[in-house]
Amino acid sequence: MNNFHTASLEVGTLVESLLFYELWNEYISWSLLIGIFTFGWLFHHSFWYTSKEGEDWENPDKIEVGVFPRHNDDMTLEVAWTILPFILIIYLTYISWAPLDAVWTSENGGNHGFECTEGQSSNNQMDMNTGIITSDCYHVLEITGKQWVWSFECNPNDDRWTGDIIPDRGFELSTNLCDIGTISIEGYGMQPLLSLKAGETYLAVMQSEDVTHAPWVQILGVKEDVQPSHKTTLWLPMIEASESMILCTEYCGDAHSLMSAGLSVHN
Amino acid sequence: MNKTKIHARSIIVMSILLLAMAFSPLVSSFPTGISGVKDSGCNCHGATTSESVIPTIEGLPEVYNYSETYELTVGFTGGPSTIGNINLGGFHLWASEGELASNDATVQRYNPSEVGHTEIGNDQTSWTLIWTAPASDKNIEFILHTNSVNGNAGGGAGSSGDEWNRLTAKVSAPIEVLEQANPYVVLSTLIVISAILLVITVTYIFYRTNPDSFNWKTFEPWICEWLTSTDHKKVGTLYFLAGLFFLGVGGIMALMIRIQLSVPGNDFLTQDQYNQFFTLHGTTMIFLAAMPLINGFANWMVPLQIGAPDLALPRINAMSFWLQPVGALLIFTGVFSGTGADTGWTGYAPYIVSETAHVGTTMWVAGQIMLVASSTLTGVNFLTTIAVMRAPGMGWMQMPLFTWSILVANLMLFLSIPAFGVGLVQVYLDRVIGTAFYDAGSGGDPLLWSHLFWYFGHPEVYVVIVPAFGVISEVIATSARRTVFGYRSMVYAMAGIGVVSFIVYGHHMFTSGMSPTLRFVTMLTTMLVAVPTGIKIFNWLKTMHRGSLVYRTHTLWALGFLVTFTLGGISGMFFPSMAMDLHFHESYFVVAHFHYVLVGGTVFGFFSAIYYWFPKMTGRMLDERLGVLHFLTAFISYNGVFWPMHRLGVWGMARRHHTYFISTEEAMGSLPAEAAGWNMFISVSAFLFFFSNFLLIANMIKSVIRGKKAPADPWGGWSFEWMTSSPPPTPSFGHFNHGEWIDLPTLKDSNEEHIGNDPSPLVKWFQSLMVLDDENEEVNN
Repeated sequence: MNNFHTASLEVGTLVESLLFYELWNEYISWSLLIGIFTFGWLFHHSFWYTSKEGEDWENPDKIEVGVFPRHNDDMTLEVAWTILPFILIIYLTYISWAPLDAVWTSENGGNHGFECTEGQSSNNQMDMNTGIITSDCYHVLEITGKQWVWSFECNPNDDRWTGDIIPDRGFELSTNLCDIGTISIEGYGMQPLLSLKAGETYLAVMQSEDVTHAPWVQILGVKEDVQPSHKTTLWLPMIEASESMILCTEYCGDAHSLMSAGLSVHN
Repeated sequence: MNKTKIHARSIIVMSILLLAMAFSPLVSSFPTGISGVKDSGCNCHGATTSESVIPTIEGLPEVYNYSETYELTVGFTGGPSTIGNINLGGFHLWASEGELASNDATVQRYNPSEVGHTEIGNDQTSWTLIWTAPASDKNIEFILHTNSVNGNAGGGAGSSGDEWNRLTAKVSAPIEVLEQANPYVVLSTLIVISAILLVITVTYIFYRTNPDSFNWKTFEPWICEWLTSTDHKKVGTLYFLAGLFFLGVGGIMALMIRIQLSVPGNDFLTQDQYNQFFTLHGTTMIFLAAMPLINGFANWMVPLQIGAPDLALPRINAMSFWLQPVGALLIFTGVFSGTGADTGWTGYAPYIVSETAHVGTTMWVAGQIMLVASSTLTGVNFLTTIAVMRAPGMGWMQMPLFTWSILVANLMLFLSIPAFGVGLVQVYLDRVIGTAFYDAGSGGDPLLWSHLFWYFGHPEVYVVIVPAFGVISEVIATSARRTVFGYRSMVYAMAGIGVVSFIVYGHHMFTSGMSPTLRFVTMLTTMLVAVPTGIKIFNWLKTMHRGSLVYRTHTLWALGFLVTFTLGGISGMFFPSMAMDLHFHESYFVVAHFHYVLVGGTVFGFFSAIYYWFPKMTGRMLDERLGVLHFLTAFISYNGVFWPMHRLGVWGMARRHHTYFISTEEAMGSLPAEAAGWNMFISVSAFLFFFSNFLLIANMIKSVIRGKKAPADPWGGWSFEWMTSSPPPTPSFGHFNHGEWIDLPTLKDSNEEHIGNDPSPLVKWFQSLMVLDDENEEVNN
């Protein structure tokens, strides 16, 4: 279990998603700008326009008890700080758009193409400017949540969930591409382990057998609820080798905090 | 029997009933009834223990070695078991720590802490098994149950004539461990102490009002007046006290949560206890602390600010209040016996209707239904009061901003809370009579709950923040000796927030699997919330421009609010960006964000309100030095609690997890090693923050007893509440004379164009819907 987070982008951080950090950095820059502007203004006015001892203050607004005071407004300023934040949020929405498409891309010809045929590799690539990953094709696997254990299936074709997302593809994924085992994690005990291959992209098709759960694939910084009423999906584009954890992040009862799994990505 | 005796007896009977309600779950709400399987753990043969059966356990050390494996032999002698019977006996062993395992085919392991015999093992009177000691210091308890069997099971007589008995054994740790306090005992003790302090305070305040007549004869009408009053000021005070009391209770639970999280892998609370504590912490803080505090000030100030004698429906108002303590009792039902609600304040389906959720959840739902009723009645009352009881000369656009904020908040609440009520009733029916609204297996839809809950839940968080906006508008303007900048844009911004609040709730469900189109739309609308909130922040800052800021404690809290609320607002903008939200959802980043908004926003706003209006409410000034000390200690420790949580969330700390593990060179965890230090820092800061607020309590008590007398308008405000005396008379304004209110104040306006008495056609239509034509009503008085 050594060297499992050596590939982290930031010291002490387990999340590896460049997609996340590109947005994070942009948002932090704007937050700092707004913070400096707002707090600078607040700081200045808090100390500049203070009441001095013994000073006779002007009463420009005619404040008197029982009398609605004179209006203190400036249409230009008020419109300005309606329009400017509006423009900023349009910009922030715009830059969030492509990442949104990347995390929820279609399984039919989206960023990751269509399901791989036998022996085909995803050959995924990350755009180093945006963190968006594209692939030639993807492999389908199955994640099932139940109180309080995750289970994985590399070759889902049982008829429990017949539907259009998991076709009977007629071949099995090799254990090199997808394998299931167990791992002992300190504090969590013996937990299931999902082994995947770097450079390959996976589509997890998920359902719950009891209540709502949500796998948090920490290394990718993604999660999606697992519902008993319908199937949900989650993209797992694996770029490089790593060892990390999957936690449950939708409260599911007693042992919610210990419902976990290992995720091992090998070259 | 005289009236006093009747009152005294009624109060005693009521108290007994309330106590019975609080403690009855102790005997009824174990999952399996009073007998309790956890104690016996086995399918014991016979109703009571039998002295003739003597269980034995061999191989246990007095003091164990870390992680060492021990072979134990359990068995029994005596009872009806004799050689030659078809079956001889059975056992069940439970160990509080370490791991039990089977040694051969006669023993089976149910889980790491429980083993029992197998079918083959039925033919024996002793069994061997393995126990691995824990790697740390624990006081360990073993409970062994054995059945002595007469062997007639196969012959159709079942277990008749069989006998059983129990043995308890203890093993000590290598290093002596102090017995750990039971968290429930800690919690209940603290709550009982708080309640006793409250009673002492009330009694002392009564004593101070007239030390010479400190006896039951004068106390009884005094306390009955408080318990039955419909005066908006008295009901407001009751709301305020209830809110402060539950703020303390919620705070105690927060401290227990922080003790648990202070170090990785802690076991101060079990998972089960932790789940109940965070559920009740959230529910208490939102519904039993924030809402009553807001209602306390709304009750007090709205009639005063609009120049009305009281609220429009005073008796409905008293009923709204009294529904709350009863609802609170139901919400807390079961917590002391370990079966309180454990669903999170959001109560997501289908967990909330599943059998794994505690039985206390049913009572939690019932209590929430009472709060829904209370809030609906409050909504009707305030909307009516503000619409029809404004003083002459006060148009909609001359109302003080705090009154506007209460109007907007109640409108939002009134329109959203029915959805929550419907959801709660459905859950209640699912839990008690077996309907299937949320059972996916029977065609129910668990996502329906999320929709109903968040359609209410998101407006609800604005319901608790918008009144704080009202307070800050009043305080900043008064302290800066200016009119609030852009009064009209302030009103439109609040109304805008009210409208937008209904179309953004989907952002709580970005990972739920609901329609991607809906998720996309709510991402856009969520971004929009920044616009009206931005307007308000900039307007407050501009209000200070060319003002003459007077530094009082309420001014400090208002400036502190501007800092923390802005930070909370900025962190809120990270969530609509989907690729970040998928990481942040259910992480500590969310916890940091909403505590910045709800504590740094709502609570700081209402701390400001306490310092601002306390002199008006009690006629006594608060101590400014204690106030400044309270601000400094609380503001700093508050930021120490919640600021580091942002980083923990980014690192990957999940909320609602009772513990966490850090990564080291040897072992994998979900968090980097630095997370442990930061969690300890947060826990220490949480204690400082909690105790810093006692400065406020001390200040209030000190001021009520010997505070300086307050003038009518200590801060120089313009609105009507500063026109009347401190404290105001009852009725607050005017006199009731021959079926009519006379001597009500009239609002003047220093603006040339006075639009107050000239409502627009839309407003006239709205008023025609709400106002009865008094001239055609027969006055019954």
